[in-house]
Amino acid sequence: MQEPLENQRLKTSPPGARPLRTPAGLPAVWGQSGAVMSFYHSGALADIAITLGILGVFYGITQVGHEWTGILRPTVLIDLSFRSLPRYTFFSLVRGLAAYCISFLFTIVYGYWAAKDRLAEKLLVPILDILQSIPVLGFMPGVVLALVSLFPTSNVGLELAAVLMIFTGQAWNMTFSFYNSLKSVPQYLQEAGTIYHFNWWQRLMQIELPYSAVGLIWNSMMSMAGGWFFLMVTEAFQLGNRDFRLPGIGSYMSVAVEKGNVPAMAAAVVAMVLMIVALDQLLWRPTVVWAQKFRIEDTSQEESMDSWFLDLLHHSHILRWTGAAGSSIGRTLASLASRFVRHAPGDVSGGSPVASTPHEQRLSGHPSAAVVFSRILFFLLAAGLAFALAQVIRLLMSVRISEWLHLLRSDLLTLVRVAVAIALGTLWTLPVGLRIGLSPKLSRIMQPIVQVAASFPAPMLFPAVILLLSLLRVSINFGSVVLMLLGTQWYILFNVIAGAQAIPSDLKEAAASYRVTGRQRFWSLYLPAIFPYLVTGWVTATGGAWNASIVAEIVTFRGETLRAQGIGSVISEAAFGAKFAELAAAILIMALTVVLINRFVWRRLYTVASTQYNLSK
Amino acid sequence: MEDALQQSVLLSSENVTQLFPMPTGNMVTVLDNITMDIRKGEIICLLGPSGCGKSTFLRILAGLMRPTSGKVLARGKEMTGLTPGVGMVFQMFALFPWMTVSENIQSVLVPLQLPRDEVQRRVGTVIKMVGLEGFEEAYPREISGGMKQRVGIARGLAVQPELLFMDEPFSAVDALTAESLRTDLVDIWDEADGQPASIVMVSHDIKEVVYMADRIVVFSANPGRIRTIVQNKLARPRDYRAPEFLAMVDYLHDIITTNELPDTPPAVVTTPAQPVYEPLPPVSSGDVVSFVEYLDSHGGQGDVFVLAHEFGKEFSDLINIVKAAEMLDFIDTPKQRTVLTPLGHRFSDLDTEDQKVIWKQQILTLSIFKTIHADVQASRSGTMLDDEVQDRLAQLLPNENPEFTFATFINWARFGNLLAFDEDSDEVSLQ
Repeated sequence: MQEPLENQRLKTSPPGARPLRTPAGLPAVWGQSGAVMSFYHSGALADIAITLGILGVFYGITQVGHEWTGILRPTVLIDLSFRSLPRYTFFSLVRGLAAYCISFLFTIVYGYWAAKDRLAEKLLVPILDILQSIPVLGFMPGVVLALVSLFPTSNVGLELAAVLMIFTGQAWNMTFSFYNSLKSVPQYLQEAGTIYHFNWWQRLMQIELPYSAVGLIWNSMMSMAGGWFFLMVTEAFQLGNRDFRLPGIGSYMSVAVEKGNVPAMAAAVVAMVLMIVALDQLLWRPTVVWAQKFRIEDTSQEESMDSWFLDLLHHSHILRWTGAAGSSIGRTLASLASRFVRHAPGDVSGGSPVASTPHEQRLSGHPSAAVVFSRILFFLLAAGLAFALAQVIRLLMSVRISEWLHLLRSDLLTLVRVAVAIALGTLWTLPVGLRIGLSPKLSRIMQPIVQVAASFPAPMLFPAVILLLSLLRVSINFGSVVLMLLGTQWYILFNVIAGAQAIPSDLKEAAASYRVTGRQRFWSLYLPAIFPYLVTGWVTATGGAWNASIVAEIVTFRGETLRAQGIGSVISEAAFGAKFAELAAAILIMALTVVLINRFVWRRLYTVASTQYNLSK
Repeated sequence: MEDALQQSVLLSSENVTQLFPMPTGNMVTVLDNITMDIRKGEIICLLGPSGCGKSTFLRILAGLMRPTSGKVLARGKEMTGLTPGVGMVFQMFALFPWMTVSENIQSVLVPLQLPRDEVQRRVGTVIKMVGLEGFEEAYPREISGGMKQRVGIARGLAVQPELLFMDEPFSAVDALTAESLRTDLVDIWDEADGQPASIVMVSHDIKEVVYMADRIVVFSANPGRIRTIVQNKLARPRDYRAPEFLAMVDYLHDIITTNELPDTPPAVVTTPAQPVYEPLPPVSSGDVVSFVEYLDSHGGQGDVFVLAHEFGKEFSDLINIVKAAEMLDFIDTPKQRTVLTPLGHRFSDLDTEDQKVIWKQQILTLSIFKTIHADVQASRSGTMLDDEVQDRLAQLLPNENPEFTFATFINWARFGNLLAFDEDSDEVSLQ
């Protein structure tokens, strides 16, 4: 349901989760004592940490291997003691990372194919558009039933199903980002590659991937966060009359909620937050800092970021040795690979985007093996798609008119909820985001917090909110708006903060010197200046809200199921009941609504934002 | 003699013509029938105003593009793909921002599959040649524009090309840096021992080409044609202030101005039924007004080349301003001089409000304004959509980009209070 986040990459400025730094320039966590400092600099600490890390990973792999190859137990008993929580958290983390790896591979292959083959592009891009408007639960019954029947005796099928469901929440916006980057590689870089005879491999590794890196990494972070959203569902769900449960933090939470075990719920929330912070500090932050070298703009104006973990790695002896050995191995492999790809006949890449380049001449003249391969794949894909389409249409034909009407009514109800959630979200995030974004000090403190909040899977907080709502005697029909808001408001806040930070200081000075204050300053300076960011936030948040409706409109609390009428609850019930016809119809209606709103509301606002309220023009 | 000359030809083009489709579907001729040679051991410069297709021509010579018709021959053999033995230096450097200086140079050696120590040797050599020692591990964003272009040149030299192509290589760096780069480049070429044997450079800067070139190919625009090829036999090292140097500059300068601003308008039969539509030079009304006022306060006349310098504009930009002022009858251009007309003089003395009145009256002498103004008047609501106006412009000026023309058209019409344009409703209406 997420919009392609390419634009996000420019607008959400790097969330500044900078580690606290002491004046000595060392991370505060390591203390300031001289001994620790020299220890730190000697790299010994780094080596110890890395050794421990490697051992930990090995242990983890054996644990995961044990779990995955275990015999199929659809329902494991979840142990609610705190002792088992680290293990569960680790299992969930592995699922998330495994899904991310698949997403990454998918992104590279699919994005490259779509960008390089003009014929395939015509099919691949619309497919991606459709895929991203299908909520994760829409894939669930099919994926689970197929994989479980594929591996009837071991846990692998169920685990793969969970991983694939997380994948469906991660991949699409990354793919769009990569595809868009590939399509927008500046012409002069393309020409430089062409004139110096780069083959497709060298072009990919030295021009296209580096150029896409920044966008891809930002979207990866968003994707990982998005992947957690349905964690509770992907790890513990009912399908038809079967109950599936995998050991993980999501199922831990589900069971805790079922049993009304408040300490366990709190522990799960804490564990989740710790996992998100750890991922941020150990994976994303270092990657983002490292990726700064892939920025294309020359201006190094913005505050440079740093990562204590990356610094630590730089100090390590072990890594330096393995790095040296690795790079010489890598060189050998690369030269082998380039020799191989050099001999691979032809390439699908169009070379420079200029009309009729020599490459394309070749492409149209004598079809190379790559082109033939690409064509075969294309026709297989088209055939598969036609088959799938026929199946879906057959399914949809079986839905009665009265059911369609019911679905439409539900859809409208959810639409109203989405609109209210976005309005409420805007109402509080505008003043708060402006306050934070306009104050550098507040930004520094708040941004990491907002970032963690945004990555936190909101459904894990639903029980607390529902408890509160039931105390206030608010019906789920209205309460679900609050639940939707919970997951989706952060996107707006994010963008308002980024927008406020980007207001040029000369405009602020002009406003101050002409004594433009209070309400006038808001309407004539702040709101117009952040408007493009606000629109981006709205688009992302709306996508999130539709997605959230699926878990927000139907919630189980203390064994009691609360259900609001809406398309989200319909999808939820259809998915868990494996009612394929109803599921397809509901998803179709929801996707159509999303597409129509994108076209008639957001696209227009984008145009206004990028012409009238564009500060860079 | 003829044979010897043939042998020394490295690359040549025969009747190269390039058409580009316009948004309206019309084809515009960018290059018209270009035939020329590049000989061994020369620096050859392609000189011309912006939009004359000289960069496109360079890309065709390099094999980055295929011409619509005509062919490119390398040592007499027709080329269909990339021209072999070419290094290229780009206007915007085209360095890979994620690679250090030496990695940037290495990257172009990878496809040559050289042994590793040969790669290292070549990188070391070219870094020394262009004076980049000490910057090997710097990233492009850490070094100045001049240094970046040195990397671009080093990269071009590293492949030991026979031909070094340069596309406006010094136009993105400041004047002082450009001068030292030019000096160094000529020195490198002198000592390069045939690698590169020849340099092909695209430029719009007359002094630059006089400093660099052995032969200067002067292009004219719309469509791009070779106007003439000038031999430049000045002894090296050349001195920018030497009288012979300045004479050469003046000579080229005369060629360009007489070409771009002909003394006698092209003879056309103007009948009321068939008005002639002249393309609008892409300049703002503000530029034209400032230029006329500047001229008035500086003696009422001046040399285009000198004025460009004083006015702080590129020569080719100023030529466009001069063209616009001449279309509106504010100035006259005998040879390369510009002389204020009595109307121009009067215009300059008026305050803005009265200037607008004259402006309106003058633009209405141009068929394009007359026609579209009449169209808007005749329309039922007194308004036309911007798309409709653009379609009309495309129809009247089929060889121009209607979007750009529309921008200039609206700018001029607004200043003269002739027509109004509301961007929100996309409507062009009577003032």
